[in-house]
Amino acid sequence: MSAVVSPLREPLVKGGKTYHQITEDLCSPTERAPSPAWIAAFIVAISFLAFGLFSIVWTIWVGIGSWDLNRTIGWGWDITNFVWWVGIGHAGTLISAILLLFRQKWRTGVNRAAEAMTIFAVICAALFPGIHMGRIWLAFFIFPYPNTRGPLWVNFNSPLLWDVFAISTYFTVSVLFWYTGLVPDFATIRDRAKGFRRRFYNTLSFGWTGSAKHWQRWEALSLVLAGLATPLVLSVHTIVSFDFATSIIPGWHTTIFPPYFVAGAIFSGFAMVQTLMLITRKILKIEEYITLAHIESMNKVILLTGTIVGVAYLTELFIAWYSGYVYEQFAFYNRAVGIYWWSYFGMMSCNVLAPQFFWSKKLRRNIMFTFFMSIFINIGMWFERFVIIVSTLARDYLPSAWSYYVPTWVEIGIYLGTFGIFFTFYLIFVRIAPVVAIAEIKSILKSAGDQYTGKGAQKHTHEEQH
Amino acid sequence: MKNQNNDVWVGILDKTNDPQLEEMASKEFYELPVVDALSDEKFVEQSSTNRRDFLKYLGFGLGAATLAASCEIPVKKAIPYVVKPDEIVPGVATYYASSFVKGGDYCSVLVKTREGRPIKIEGNPTSKVTKGGTSARAQAVVLDLYNTERFKSPIVMGEEKGTATTWDDLDKTIASKINPASTIRIVTNTILSPTTKKAIADFTAKYPNTQVVTYDPISSAAILLANEASFGDKVIPDYHFDKAQFVMSFGADFLGTWISPVEYSTDWVKTRKIKDVHHAKMSRLVVAESGMSLTGSNADNRILIKPSEQGQAILYLCGKLGGGTSGKVNDKAAAALDAIAKELQAAQGKALVVSNSNDKNVQIVVNKINELLGSYGNTITFGNASLQRQGVDSEVQTLIGEMNSGSIDAVFVMGGANPAYDLPNSDKFKEAFAKVTTKVSFAGVIDETTAMCNYVAPNNHLLESWGDAQPKRGEYSLIQPTINLLYDTRESEMSLLKWAGSGVKSYYDYLKQNWEATLFPSQSNYATFQAFWDNALHDGAISVPVSEGELAFGADVATAAGSIKSASSAEVEIDFCESVNIGNGQYADNPWLQEMPDPVMRTVWGNYLAINIAFDGDNNYATFKGMNQDSKGHTDIAKFATAKGDATLPVVPVFGQMPNTVQAGLGYGREAITSTGQNTGVNLYPMLSINSDGLTQYWAEVSSVEKAGVEDEFACVQYHHTMGVTGTLEGSEEVINVDERILGHKGYQGSLTNRTILRTSHVGEVEDFVHDLQHEREHHQYLNSKTLYPDYSGLYGMGHHWGMHIDLNACTGCAACTVACMAENNVPVVGKREVHRHHEMTWLRIDRYFYGDVNNPNVVYQPLMCQHCDNAPCENVCPVAATNHSSEGLNQMTYNRCIGTRYCANNCPFKVRRFNWLDYTTADLWPANQFSINGEELPFGADNLTRMVLNPDVTVRSRGVIEKCSFCVQRIQEGKLLAKREGRKLKDNDVKTACQTACPTGAIVFGDANNKSGELHKALESPLNYILLEEINVRSSVTYSAKVHNRNTELDA
Repeated sequence: MSAVVSPLREPLVKGGKTYHQITEDLCSPTERAPSPAWIAAFIVAISFLAFGLFSIVWTIWVGIGSWDLNRTIGWGWDITNFVWWVGIGHAGTLISAILLLFRQKWRTGVNRAAEAMTIFAVICAALFPGIHMGRIWLAFFIFPYPNTRGPLWVNFNSPLLWDVFAISTYFTVSVLFWYTGLVPDFATIRDRAKGFRRRFYNTLSFGWTGSAKHWQRWEALSLVLAGLATPLVLSVHTIVSFDFATSIIPGWHTTIFPPYFVAGAIFSGFAMVQTLMLITRKILKIEEYITLAHIESMNKVILLTGTIVGVAYLTELFIAWYSGYVYEQFAFYNRAVGIYWWSYFGMMSCNVLAPQFFWSKKLRRNIMFTFFMSIFINIGMWFERFVIIVSTLARDYLPSAWSYYVPTWVEIGIYLGTFGIFFTFYLIFVRIAPVVAIAEIKSILKSAGDQYTGKGAQKHTHEEQH
Repeated sequence: MKNQNNDVWVGILDKTNDPQLEEMASKEFYELPVVDALSDEKFVEQSSTNRRDFLKYLGFGLGAATLAASCEIPVKKAIPYVVKPDEIVPGVATYYASSFVKGGDYCSVLVKTREGRPIKIEGNPTSKVTKGGTSARAQAVVLDLYNTERFKSPIVMGEEKGTATTWDDLDKTIASKINPASTIRIVTNTILSPTTKKAIADFTAKYPNTQVVTYDPISSAAILLANEASFGDKVIPDYHFDKAQFVMSFGADFLGTWISPVEYSTDWVKTRKIKDVHHAKMSRLVVAESGMSLTGSNADNRILIKPSEQGQAILYLCGKLGGGTSGKVNDKAAAALDAIAKELQAAQGKALVVSNSNDKNVQIVVNKINELLGSYGNTITFGNASLQRQGVDSEVQTLIGEMNSGSIDAVFVMGGANPAYDLPNSDKFKEAFAKVTTKVSFAGVIDETTAMCNYVAPNNHLLESWGDAQPKRGEYSLIQPTINLLYDTRESEMSLLKWAGSGVKSYYDYLKQNWEATLFPSQSNYATFQAFWDNALHDGAISVPVSEGELAFGADVATAAGSIKSASSAEVEIDFCESVNIGNGQYADNPWLQEMPDPVMRTVWGNYLAINIAFDGDNNYATFKGMNQDSKGHTDIAKFATAKGDATLPVVPVFGQMPNTVQAGLGYGREAITSTGQNTGVNLYPMLSINSDGLTQYWAEVSSVEKAGVEDEFACVQYHHTMGVTGTLEGSEEVINVDERILGHKGYQGSLTNRTILRTSHVGEVEDFVHDLQHEREHHQYLNSKTLYPDYSGLYGMGHHWGMHIDLNACTGCAACTVACMAENNVPVVGKREVHRHHEMTWLRIDRYFYGDVNNPNVVYQPLMCQHCDNAPCENVCPVAATNHSSEGLNQMTYNRCIGTRYCANNCPFKVRRFNWLDYTTADLWPANQFSINGEELPFGADNLTRMVLNPDVTVRSRGVIEKCSFCVQRIQEGKLLAKREGRKLKDNDVKTACQTACPTGAIVFGDANNKSGELHKALESPLNYILLEEINVRSSVTYSAKVHNRNTELDA
């Protein structure tokens, strides 16, 4: 590549790609036959999904009593998983919307996959508020629809109702945003395809022709959706945190929750993006599009949000002590050294201590280290939700009601099932759509002028560059 | 139609008298398109459907409808009364005065019936014995009536379940088996009924070789024999706990199980309520025992003595009081007894000493102590002597010998007696019993003894029978049927009379005749017998005057003292106690009682071994031989060995259990029992011993206790024990709060003791305490006044505002309210495994907390139900508004609307909300999910018969919804309707909750807080009142009054 490589700023796409090469590289995974690795992964994922479905049917058939929740601990793995998945579903929109508005061009390498991940994570998350209901067949009661019962309206005071609106809005905007980005890329695949695939992608691309008017409208829509999605990144987890913050249970009743939850969500979302992208770039051989620079950038976000989360944890402890309020003090003391001390330990070590290694540039750019760290953070963030929900409920106001909780196989099965859902969708996604936004990544190719092959173009070969 | 009045018009056409409008208005059906169409010939001609088609369709439709209709559809008939009985008004409850009698257990009750079926037991306030109080056992008796496994006809026992027969056949068979020369024994527990005794006497007249063998599984025979020796009156005296300023109990659990707990609780509590905080006075109660009994947990001081030390301790006390005896007890107990002797002497004439010892000699010394203290004539009288325990265990031992020798021709088992299970030597009894040729049982349900009999002549259930009871001399009450016979059963008295050849038509006539002959002449209030009878039947309980005889103490104390054994030298001893819920085992087939948590151990569905918690001075409890109960649903199983065999039981470490002693409940481990009672606990009766007088001794030496595994289904509703017990740090003199160190750190701020849950005070410090309490409450109220939200208290000040007051000082923890609540509100029974998973459904629980000295603590019982917060945290979090607040201050639960997110339960600071985790009520969509407590084929509560116990005023909740205490909203509604019908304002007594009416001590007061003249308003003015968690501003409608104790700390030294 002839373009001057800045000594300070790494190129966002490596390997001196031409536009055609980009198209080839990114479309080919959808065009070739699935690899054995993909087939194996798909079988595993679909098995988990099947077991999860079985566990869900079991829950609905037998009752919530098939879980080991009790009179004191009314929420356990169900809501822990819900909050965890919603948190994971934050990175996509953040990357797409906020980074778009901030003109962070490196986002184009990862935004497509991150957005897909968001959508699949939100699907997994939305499952739990449904199935944790004692009478899921009456779940429509939570929608404010006109009725003849008085009319009996929903309770707008309840954070659970706010959840319904927040999650469904977030899901809708995320899907629109994701799909909007996919339209030109589907058209690219269509143009290369024949027969049924051509008709299929033609439908998916809504007859995109690539006219200037199309691009203009597409750009405008992307910006509008980014503008809509930006507040949602903050609002969704804020509202999820209200499930706890508006209650009166010591350990839940905390004003710090909204910012702390949002930071935690971005933290866990980026960790999940890391986990997935590190595997995807390797398997699909797209290391030149998702480069070490991307990984390092995301690690920086992880370091920042992880540290914010750590500060939030310490602030909670300080405020509990400073408040002089016995219930609050006991709640946090109990978290740290009570019967669920191990979950607090897991949360602290994975979320606060572990990311501090990313102060080292060497480790930030170490792929194996990043991968393990992303797993740690995912575990740590799950523990955070477990700590908040279960260890708080297990030791609340009246010692007479204190209890203990371990999940049954059904609860574990549903959690594994959400992994099945998530990975099944993701695996289908990588077979159908380009995992990197082709149109967007082309826009950031620095070598646009170099690749001009027309009249007066300088003749270069790739070898010269290396 | 012409508009006649132009001042009124509808639209402009009306105003202008438009002709079209007139046409429209004049026709009833102005536009009838169908008629128009059909009258249009063209339309009919064009139509493709002709007459033939019409007939075809008609024929097919008719045929199809006929075919469909001829399929068999189950017909359910609802047959109305042709002539409506006067006393039955659909939807209105009828109450009948009756008595609860089971063996010697007695309670005068009112039976609530709805549409002809008894559904609830209430106390009978006219009774001078139980004074309107009830016990958990009395509350649960309605469920027994609907036990699907009752005997449905007379049975000839044989293989399996035996064969059904008819009464005529059975009568003939029995007649052929016995003749006037036959030697017959009637084995029974205490019989309270004078008419039953008369029937037996009539039978004996025909068969002169008949003897009645009376025994009680948990025997008070020693008291009977000691009183015979001391006063020549073989009876349980009338104890006046209300007159005693100092009660010293040696192991007698008179508030829980001993002889007449309802009566004694009612009396005792009168001396414990604080009426005036400025001159607070209360009696003292000291209990000497090894394991924490219900009475011990209510005591001001407990003296820890081993079970074998009791005789010596009584001798020691007698000696200190100048009785001339001497005894040897452990040093701590001796020091305490020295102090107690002084206190007792100071309370001369107002003291009362009782003991549960079943050693005649010990009871003679107890009598001597009472004599020395001047109790006779004051706190103990014989005029209204109790007849609630009449059994002498030695009689049944004699019977075993007689049966072995082959001299007995026939044995009749009645009165709930079950000697094949509840004798210490039941194996010997069974061996001998098998040799008797004619064995007849009158039991209504299967038990171990009945299983061995040849014939079962099933007795009616109590609620189907006529009968009477004489719990005390001069106190009589009637039993009347409240439902027609469910099965082909017969009063056992009637069976005896039939077999005696009596011509009595019905037991009712016999009963009436007996009352006319014996009781009517002994009273003077009524001129005619009919008036007397009607009144007795109406009131349920009557009193006749008795004479207080002159009794002189004449026992040989020295000889008695000489024969009292010295304490055992065994390292470990076990004390066997009667459990508060299932008694001596006769209530073991009642699911309500099985699911009622033990007041102290808080365990259900089985017996547990209470072991000591040794506090090692740090954050750990070094429990008995290293065993502990962790708080994760598991506990260790202990194997312990006595001279008469060994047993394994799960352990519960209990504060206040004497080191090197253990305690376990009797009455569990029944083998021949209806299905819900199976596989619950271990039978410990075989470990009991018999002393030289033939009396059962309820303790044993333990040769070893060792860990034998882990109980994974530890069914305990309350893991945490304490609320501020203090102990001395090992290696120093520093006294620390154990709870502050529960997590291993000293001086931790967030202790449990600072929580606004319990408030306790010593009676001598009440004034200071009240000052502090007021100050604390003012601070909380000040904080609460800073809320940003609007204040609705003005609204709640209008109309009714329902509230409750609970006097922790009056609550003894007997749990009658818990069972009453289950009965009233259709609370499902969930079984052991579900309770282990903390899925119990009780709307009202009684929290038990220890406080004070870690080695010898005091106990508070705190009944806890929905607090009906006016600022309820559960209400605003429900997404579908299924729980909301009424204008009368009730926190209402709308089951239909509930989708089961459980957010309300999470956000309840009191954790009183209950979720239907599984299909506990068998109301589910899918029958496959019906829920068996004990692996039964037909789940408990699924049978239509069992469902008859349901209160029709209360919804049965289905799977997946939250439920909780409603303040008995159905009773509030009933009271309001009554007042409305009578055209008056609601009075205080119109509404009483089920827990309130069940309580024998009046600890619960319910009412309208806005009624300034009401009982509740008065109770709310007590300066001892406080509100749970007042600082979190949920504004509870339930107010508690602080626990005041009268502990003498000198005894602790």
